[in-house]
Parts: sequence; C-alpha cells; structure tokens
Amino acid sequence: MATTTSQQVLLCPAELAYLHSSLSLTPPIRPDGRTPTHFRPLVAETDILPGTNGSARICFADGTEAIVGVKAEVEKTRGVEEGVEESEVREDEKEGRSEWVELTVEIPGVRDDDGGTAFLSAMLGEALLSDGGFVKRLWINRRWHWKLYLDILLISPPLSYPLPLLSLTTHLALLATRLPRLKSEGVEDPFFDDDWAAAPYLYPRDKKSGKALARPPVTLLVMAVGRNIIFDPAKEELAVADVALAVSVGEAAETGDNDMGGKGRKLRLLSVRTIDPPSRVTPPGVPNATNAAYGAAGTTQKQPEARMAEAEAVEGVWRAPRGGAKPLVMAALVQKTLERGGVADEVLDALEGVDLG
Amino acid sequence: MASIKRSLDSDPLQASISSKVYVRSTKSGKVQKIVREVYLRQDIPCSSKLCRTCQKMAPTDSAGRPIPFVLSEAPAGTSVYPNGHYLVPDTNAFLSAMDLFEQSSAFYDVVVLQIVLEELRNRSLPLYNRLIGLTKSEDKRFYVFFNEFRLETYINRLEGESVNDRNDRAVRQAVAWYSEHLARTSAGKVPTVVMLSNDRENLKKAKKQGLAACSLAEYVRQLKDGEHLLDMIPETEDGDMIKEKKPNEFLYPEYFSMSKMMTGVKGGVLHQGTFNVSPYNYLEGSIRVPAFPKSLLILGRENINRAVDGDLVVVEVLPKDQWKEPSTQVIEEEAVTKDENPDTEEAGGLVTERERKALQEEVKRTHSKTTEGHAQPTAKVVGVIKRNWRQYVGHIDQTSVSQSAQQGRKQDTVFVIPMDKKIPKIRLRTRQVAELIGKRILVTIDAWDRGSRHPTGHFVRSLGELETKAAETEALLLEYDVQYRPFPKTVLDCLPKEGHDWKVPASMDDPGWRDREDLRHLGICSIDPIGCQDIDDALHARPLPSGNYEVGVHIADVSHFVRPNNAMDMEASIRGTTVYLVDKRIDMLPMLLGTDLCSLKPYVERYAFSVLWELTPDADIVNMRFTKSVIKSREAFSYEQAQLKVDDASQQDDLIKSIRVLMALSKKLKQKRMDAGALSLSSPEVKVQMESETSDPIDVKTKQHLDTMSLVEEFMLLANVSVARKIYEAFPQTALLRRHGAPPKTNFDELANQLRVKKGLELSVESSRALADSLDTCVDPKEPFFNTLIRIMATRCMMAAEYFCSGTQAYPEFRHYGLASEIYTHFTSPIRRYADLVAHRQLAAAIEYEAVHPSVRSRGRLEAVCKNINVRHRNAQLAGRASIAFYVGQALRGKATQEDGFIMKIFSNGFVVLVPRFGIESLVRLRDLAEPEPTAEYDAETYTLTTSGSREIKVELFQKVKVLVTDQKDETTGKRGVKMEFVKAY
Repeated sequence: MATTTSQQVLLCPAELAYLHSSLSLTPPIRPDGRTPTHFRPLVAETDILPGTNGSARICFADGTEAIVGVKAEVEKTRGVEEGVEESEVREDEKEGRSEWVELTVEIPGVRDDDGGTAFLSAMLGEALLSDGGFVKRLWINRRWHWKLYLDILLISPPLSYPLPLLSLTTHLALLATRLPRLKSEGVEDPFFDDDWAAAPYLYPRDKKSGKALARPPVTLLVMAVGRNIIFDPAKEELAVADVALAVSVGEAAETGDNDMGGKGRKLRLLSVRTIDPPSRVTPPGVPNATNAAYGAAGTTQKQPEARMAEAEAVEGVWRAPRGGAKPLVMAALVQKTLERGGVADEVLDALEGVDLG
Repeated sequence: MASIKRSLDSDPLQASISSKVYVRSTKSGKVQKIVREVYLRQDIPCSSKLCRTCQKMAPTDSAGRPIPFVLSEAPAGTSVYPNGHYLVPDTNAFLSAMDLFEQSSAFYDVVVLQIVLEELRNRSLPLYNRLIGLTKSEDKRFYVFFNEFRLETYINRLEGESVNDRNDRAVRQAVAWYSEHLARTSAGKVPTVVMLSNDRENLKKAKKQGLAACSLAEYVRQLKDGEHLLDMIPETEDGDMIKEKKPNEFLYPEYFSMSKMMTGVKGGVLHQGTFNVSPYNYLEGSIRVPAFPKSLLILGRENINRAVDGDLVVVEVLPKDQWKEPSTQVIEEEAVTKDENPDTEEAGGLVTERERKALQEEVKRTHSKTTEGHAQPTAKVVGVIKRNWRQYVGHIDQTSVSQSAQQGRKQDTVFVIPMDKKIPKIRLRTRQVAELIGKRILVTIDAWDRGSRHPTGHFVRSLGELETKAAETEALLLEYDVQYRPFPKTVLDCLPKEGHDWKVPASMDDPGWRDREDLRHLGICSIDPIGCQDIDDALHARPLPSGNYEVGVHIADVSHFVRPNNAMDMEASIRGTTVYLVDKRIDMLPMLLGTDLCSLKPYVERYAFSVLWELTPDADIVNMRFTKSVIKSREAFSYEQAQLKVDDASQQDDLIKSIRVLMALSKKLKQKRMDAGALSLSSPEVKVQMESETSDPIDVKTKQHLDTMSLVEEFMLLANVSVARKIYEAFPQTALLRRHGAPPKTNFDELANQLRVKKGLELSVESSRALADSLDTCVDPKEPFFNTLIRIMATRCMMAAEYFCSGTQAYPEFRHYGLASEIYTHFTSPIRRYADLVAHRQLAAAIEYEAVHPSVRSRGRLEAVCKNINVRHRNAQLAGRASIAFYVGQALRGKATQEDGFIMKIFSNGFVVLVPRFGIESLVRLRDLAEPEPTAEYDAETYTLTTSGSREIKVELFQKVKVLVTDQKDETTGKRGVKMEFVKAY
C-alpha cells in the first residue's frame, strides 16, 4: 500500500459529495463529459534525445509531461566462469537477471528517497521485470549482457498521479531503443558494429510495416466509484475514488493469431497494485443533524469530525471511503482492462500509432 | 486518444546543423553511442585559382594574409580532357595506388576530400601519412576540401544506405558541386573535374549523373607515357574478375575473426606477438609472447599462414605431438622454389615437392634423435592483427621470366626476390619486364589471399642497375627505413641566420652568455677518428694544488641551437640518429650545425655543455659539477696522431701532458669497470679503404684498437653515468636513460653447451661479472682468435640495449648489463643522437639553466621518442653493417684469396664460416663441396659433420678452416655475393 499519492485536492466536502454521486450514476457522468473508458488526448514523440539509445516524450492534456531516456552499457555477467572452450551457444541458455535493469524516477520538487517516488519506480520496474522476457533481450552471451539504465523524468509539476504517464513514456522509449549490432559470435568478447544505422531495435520490428513485433508492458490507472469503473481518472475524479488500482498489462508471449484468426492481441495481466487514493485524506462533510451551526446538540464538542467518523453515512454528505476494494469490483476491473478491444488494447493501438524512429 | 509526432524540423537553423551518429567501442570494453553535431557552412573555398567568389572569402592566417589557393588556373589536360582537369580520387584509389599519386610526371591538381582522408586514416595510417605529406608539398598541388562541412556537399545518409554507399555518394556530390561551381567562373577554359575510382558501381552511378569519371587504369592510359605507370596499379584492381574459388582450392586456412582472437588472447588460449622469420630458414618462424619465457616455433607454410616478418599476429599452440626441434638445416627460398612458374602457380599444392622433401629430411632427423627432450613447443598463426608491410627492395627472379616477356609490352607475371631474406617472394605483374631485369626495384605487397601461395604486389620504382653504388646505397637506406631526403625548408629556416659566420658573441653581456662559464683558458682538445667533421666531444685535464686532477668533458651544446618542438627538433626526433655508411653519412641535423656551429672545431670558440670532475690520482670522484660553457679547443687530434704523440717521450707540451694524465686516469677507470663486471664484447669490425678519387673500395682492413680510443671511451662513459644520476635525481619519472637488460640464461644455453662439448669449457652466466670472468678463461692457447670468436658469439646472445623513460621501469631494471653500471644514459653525442639532445635539455633544466620544457617532462611524449629512437638506432647499425658488407664484396670483386676462417654455426647440410680478416661470414653448403652432393652425417650431440662419398671431410664447430673467398654472381638471382669455398680443415 502506498502512501497518499499526491497533493491535496482543493475541493470542499460538498463538492466531493456531488462529484462522487455523479460518478456513481449509471452511466457515470464525468466532470469533463468523457465516457468511463475514454482516454484524454496526449502528444507523444520518440527519439528526442540523440545521445541516448532510445527516448520518448509524452505530454498529457492536463499539462503533465514526462521524458524517458534509455542508456545501455555492456557489462560482464557476474558469477560466470571464464573460459571459452565451449563456443556453441544454445538457445535455452539465454537468461536474464533483474539487476540488469536500473530504473530511476525523478519527480520535480520531491526528494529521490521519497516513499512515493520509490513506490512509483518499484511499480514501473515490477511491470517490466515480472515476465522474464524483457531481461532476456539484454542477454549477449554467457559472459556478457547489456545493462540498461532507464531515466524517467517528470518534467512538469506532479499535477495528478503520474504513474500512467511515466509508464506510457517508458513504453515508447523502450520501443525506440536500439542496441549496437553484435559482430562477434558465440561466447567471444562482444564486438560491435560502429554503424549506428545498423543497430537493431531492442523490440524487433516487422521489416515491412515497421511495427514492433512485441511490445513492452504498460501500467494503467483505473478507479472505481460505487460499481462504476473509470479509466484514466482526472485529478478531481481520483479525489473521490473508492478504490484506485495500477494494472500492468503485457502482451502474451505468443500472439493469438493462430487460434483466434484475424488481428488482435492476447493480453496478460502482469500485476495489480492498490493505490492509496487522495480521497482517503479528504475532510468529511458534517450532516445538518450534527452541525452546531444548525443548532444541533452537543456543540461543546471540539472535534465533531472525529465523532462523525463513527456515525452512519448520511446521504449527500461526503465521507472519505474506507476499507479496500471489494473482490467483485476488482474482478470486474481486471476483466474490463484485459477484454479484447478493451481499454488496454485501445491504448496499445494508439501507442502503435506513434511514429517511431 | 490521438497522438502526433512533432519533428525537430521546425528549427529554422536546421539547414546548417546536422549530426553524425556512430557507435564507439572503447578499449575498456565500453560501447557508446556518440552523437556529433556538424555545423555546415558556406565559406569553405574551392581553392581553385580560377574562382573569384571563393577568393573573396578566403580564410586568412594569423597575420591576416589570405591563405594562397592551391589548384592551378591552367591544370594539365589529357587526351580525353583537353581543357585541363582536377582529380577527385575516392578512398580506394589512394588505398590501392598511392605510389601513382607520388609520381612527379603526373597527378597534379588533386582535390582530396575530407571524407576520403578520414576513411583512409581508418584504413591505413601509413598511407594517410603519405597523403598528408603530399598535401603539404607545394608543387604537387593537393588540396584538402572539407566537403563534410560545406553545406552544398554535405549529404545525409539515406534510409538503408550503407556507410560506404553514402561516402561514395558524398564523393559524387562533391564532384558535381565542383563542376557546377567552376562552370560559374568566367574562365575561358573550365577544367573538368574528374572522379577517380576503381569501384565499378560508383563509376556507373557517376556517369549516370553526368559526371566525368574514370578508373585508374583508364585515366593512366590517357596520360603521356602512361604505360609505365600502369604497373603501379595493383593487382586487386580487377578483383571481381578473379574467378571464384571453391573452398578446397584455398591453400591457406582462414583467419579467425578479430573478436574471436581478442577473446582468445584475453582468455590466455591464444597468444599475440610479433612474427619473426629465421634468417637461415624461410619456412621457420618464431614468435615471442608474454606468456612464455622462450619463443614459440612456427614451422611450415601452412602454420605460418601468410604471416610476413614483422607482422603482429595471433598464434595458437599446437598439440604436443606436433612439437619439433628448430631446424638444423639451411633452407633458402630462392633455392628451394627456384623453378616455380608465377603464372600457373595455382595448379600446384601449397607445399611444393622440394619443400616436402626438405621436410622429410627434417622428420628423419627428429626421429633418429635418442634424446626426446629437445622438442620445442610449436604454434600456428590463426590471424593477423596488424600487417607491418612496407616497401621492399628486391630484384626480379630471372628464371621466372618467360621468353616471350623479354620483348614486347605484354603484361607478365614474375617473381621478385626481396633483398631481405626473411621476406617471401612477391608475385608481380608488370609490362616492363625487359627493362626491369637486372635492376634494383622497389615493390610493395598488396595482398596475400588464401588462394595464392605467394603474396602479390606491384612495382613502385626502379633504383637503378644492380650493384651500382647509387642503387645499392639507396636500397640499403630504403630497407632500413633511413630518412635520407634533404632537409625541408621549414627545418632549414630554424638555423641561425648568420649561417657559417655565426660566432660566439664577443660581448659577455649577450644573452647567449647568460649563466655560461668562460672556459676558454683551458687546454681543451678533441680526439676522434681521422676525417671526423662532427666533433661532439672534447676533453681537458689539469692538476690541482691538492694533488688531485680537474678533468672536464665538453660536449657540443646542440640544445642551444635546436629548440624543443620546432621543425628542426621534430625532424631530428624522427631521424633519431645519424647513419654512417662506408662512403656516406646521413645526418640527423643539417650540415651547418653538425659540422660547423655545434662541432667543437679547434682554434674557434664554441658553446659547450661541460661536465667537470675533481678526480684523485686513483680516479675516484671527489666532486663533480655541470655547466654550460664557452670553450676554445686547442687541437683536434685523430686517434692515431694522439697515440703517436703520447708514445713519443720527446713531446712535452701541456696538451700532450694532459692527454697522458687522461690516459693514466682512463686506465684506472677501465680497471674499476672491469672489476665491477663490465663485459668486453666483440663484433667483427673492418674498415674499407677507398681509392681517394673514385671512391672505389680497394682494400679491407680490420680496425685496430688504440689506447687513445679507450681513453675517450672511458671519459664518455663516466660523463654519461654522471649525467644519468643527475637527471634521474631531478626527474625521477621522466629522465631519459639507457638500459641493457640482463639476458635470460636460456639465451646462453646453446653456446654454453657447445663450449662444454667441444672445448670442455664452462660458461657461467649468473651475472655479468661471472660471464666476464668465464669469457676471460675461454682461450685456446693455439688460437688467439678463439677468444674473440667466443666473444662475438656471446654478444649475439645478449639483449639489445634500449632507451627508456625512467618512470616506466623500476630502479633495479635501470642496470646496464654490459657496462655493469647501475644507471646510464647517452649525453656525449648530441650532434648524431637525438637521445643525447633530450638528455642535454633535461640536464640544463636540472641545473636550473633553463625552464623545463613540457616536451622533456611529458612521459607519453618521451616514451614515443624512446620507441622511435630505439628502432632508428638499430636500423642505423644494420644499415652501417650492410653497407660495409656491400663494399667488402665490391673490394673482393674479381679477386680470389685464401683466408683462415672459423666455423661458428653448423647445419646438417652446411656450415657458417667467419673470416675475421674481412669480418664477413658466409654459408658453405655441402652441395657446393663436390658434385654430386656428398652424403653427410650430422651429429648434433658433438656438433660434427662428416661427409662421405664424393668428398670426405670432417668439420666441427669452432674449427679453424681455410677457405677460398671469391665473389660470385648468382646467375639465377643476378645478385653478387661473397662465396666461400672450403679448402681444408686445420
């Protein structure tokens, strides 16, 4: 469980209550008029930092913006005995270790040992590392591997919870990442082509269409209000969330083309993390019945809120949500995310549309 | 959800900024993506004197003068380009035919594109340096055009385009721009801009673009007497015409990939080192690698695998059952492969029948050995890291010339036999066979494919008739890489303006006198060989009231005239040393300095750098000091003159008296040195006497040793040691010193064994002292020369002395083994050795005469200097010796004398005889003893060779023999050499 995500939302209890109830309607009415699965537009570009192996920038409509740079270095694999007698390389020998990836997240105005930042980088890392496929790509031979440094920078103030933004930018940067072409063979010390144009992509592309054949995972932010599941929540919406989840989705190893026929990708849930929504620390509203201003009894009480917390919920009066996500809601949420043609699918499609390299 | 891509194109300055992206692999194994910004400009001139627009914006030098344009306004034309033309060669043109561009008959007005220059540097540094040399020479009119920085000629790499294709396109773009640019000038005759390339694709594309382009061969044919030049276009030109070979037709194994070799070397499985060929057997090479104390043997063509002497190669050790002994047989390529046909050589196998026979002999002998411990580890070459090919001097093997080729101008393939026996025969295609036969010629090796038994090369130029003095001397200089061209103008500009009229300033207030001691009153004299003009050193001695002596060694103050890092200094540091040939001296410094201004000539005042000691009568040093000084030498003696005067008791003037003092002190110094274990080594030294007018050699004399020689030698050693101590004390990290490593004991194994077996003598090699002592005991009462013979042979077991920078070695490693001195440097001959010049600068800084110049303080630079002068020094010695050998041969011409000689090396099919009278050694082959060749039995245990059959003799190592020395011209090779015929054994 993370600490409170970001700064206070400046809404009064009455506003919170209003927002909450309109989001609980079927269908929910969102403040900006979107449908529950509608994503806000974004601006993206890749290869913005020429010195890196791969980079990307994404700007969300709410003004938050992030850049990611990927740098690769050749490193000797630890704990492998020297010796080159056996120069044959077997495919099943390929392995990957999580220490081959180093990920740093930087949020302006926040210390780098801040709990929230650490949690963000842990979540981003978890999505990348949870299936071993990604680190296997860094394998060069039995004795050598690439070490990847991912520098994830939020360059705008953290206006809303930056997880999806950072994840999508990382995704694009990795898609754009290229590693120098290996010229040596077998277990020899690696030796590379000095021609950058010949460098292959970390995620290989289809030669004709230029589309990536596989893609790195993405982490999406999803919230629930009552029974409604809302994607890509705005800052205000998040302030009234009952539950907020970070859902990491990757493409399943084998594309489902054979059995399904036609296009479509098989998605795989990589991880789900509950996020402590800012709604937890919002001040509760006070029902008229207990409000001293309306002549309620016991006005001498100094802390009406403390008492209120124990009281029954009153219709139309804001009260911070309590308890975790209900299993049913969770299930629905995951289901909605993974569904063919669902949100994750749509996001990946959209990212594919970004002109790479 | 929508996504857009915003590109960087919106930048208004975009047009003039581009970037280059590439991957760089560092030595430490890092791999980096490098992005370099390229700022494009429009003010890079075309440098044609025709162009008015470019002249307006011509760049200026620091004084504001515009830099003159290079390309002529009326360039030469050819049959196809009558309006004159500028050449724009591509990289391959330079790579394959640099010699063409250096011709003086053609190839003027050449535009060297930056992209071509850069590519050339990556491919071959020596060629790059030669091209840079061409661009510097004013008369060749080579202009480097920075096409990669000029907006109009810069091109971006296209999607999917290879680097080479892009660079070819850049060349075409530059050609197109030049033509268009020149067309806009109002000149009457606009020169054509011609692209030179051997790449067919590139030529085709250029023609499609409407550019003037031709291949090297096409171009050369357009020139007047281009036929001659055609030979310089290498073999590989028609590379794609060579028929594809099937894998089993390859004669040699394939090389490993670079990364495989590097991994192997790092992992200790493969070894890297410099490949050396045995001077006696061209099929046997050796390589010294850091991993093993002894060198590895490489036997046979297949294992040598196209390595040429001097190449940096990687080898793999062979399994133990293939270990062999070094050959005891002499195998000469000329003899073994004599009748090969250069045209059809592909037909035969890799190993010819004769070679195979030689190998069988070898096996037989190895097997007949009772002792098995002799086998040495062998290895095979698996790859070449760096070729060390240079230009080789040689001559055409007449037997390889077909009859028809003697006339006519048809292209023909012949073999060239290089002068250096360690270099394999080179296949050469030429149209001028008839003219080149009997000439010394210069050739280069172009390639050695897996499918060809011999390397292929091309003709560069002819040096002249074989055996003429000019040709042979130039051949020597080329072979030993001696820089013999006249000093360029930039160097001569560094000389004092007064020229020969320069004098030590009369006024003591002159800046030249600053901190200089006035030693003009001392009775200084110099002692040198007869006719010496570059007098480096002079001496004096005078008694002091205390009963001690003041002794001074005065060395020419060359560092006063040669300032660090100017053109003259650079030239001297490249030359490294003066080279003395029999009839010629190739100076390190211009004549004016070497033989006049610096030379400590008698009766004139000269600047000097003096080392002054106070010595007790027992030659112990009481104190010493160093100072810059002004001296006036009283007399310049020759060794012989000085000796005569010293011996003549009637001579009693001060100068002779002081020489006698010096003589007495020098004997004591020598004794001390000998007691410390200094070696007295020997090498056969002779002097060629010339007829004074024609300078034809008339006689050969062995050099006589005089006491006056050791007088000078002792004090020079003393000065060198004293200076070495001083500069090491002042600069512990960067002093330039000279060391002589203790030879590994194994070096003496062979000699010690030979002495034990043949003479019952023990050679102890624990220390230089022990060696010196045991060499003294190696005497044969009947044969006085025997001791010298052993010393000559022991000298060959030693390591070479070398210059080094003190920071690169630990103090115990400084030791000079031969001189038994803890520390040593060269200080006393700055006119003829660059090392001494550096030592002078360091000493001047150490005594605070002048500030430390960065160049004598930078370790990296000093290490580079050491490396170069070590090589130069060695080459100068070899060239000197080769020159003597040539003249000895000339002096013997047409004469036949019987001389005494000694057997110093013995093989199963011949033996090497040293004739001390002429200082020559030569091989006596069994097959020359009698016809048919007598059968021989070689006993390697006792070093005895017994023949039977057609002639019966028995010879053994160290034996004194009588030989008939004649000169002989080998009919097959056209080479004159000393030939020895065995007469009798004593």
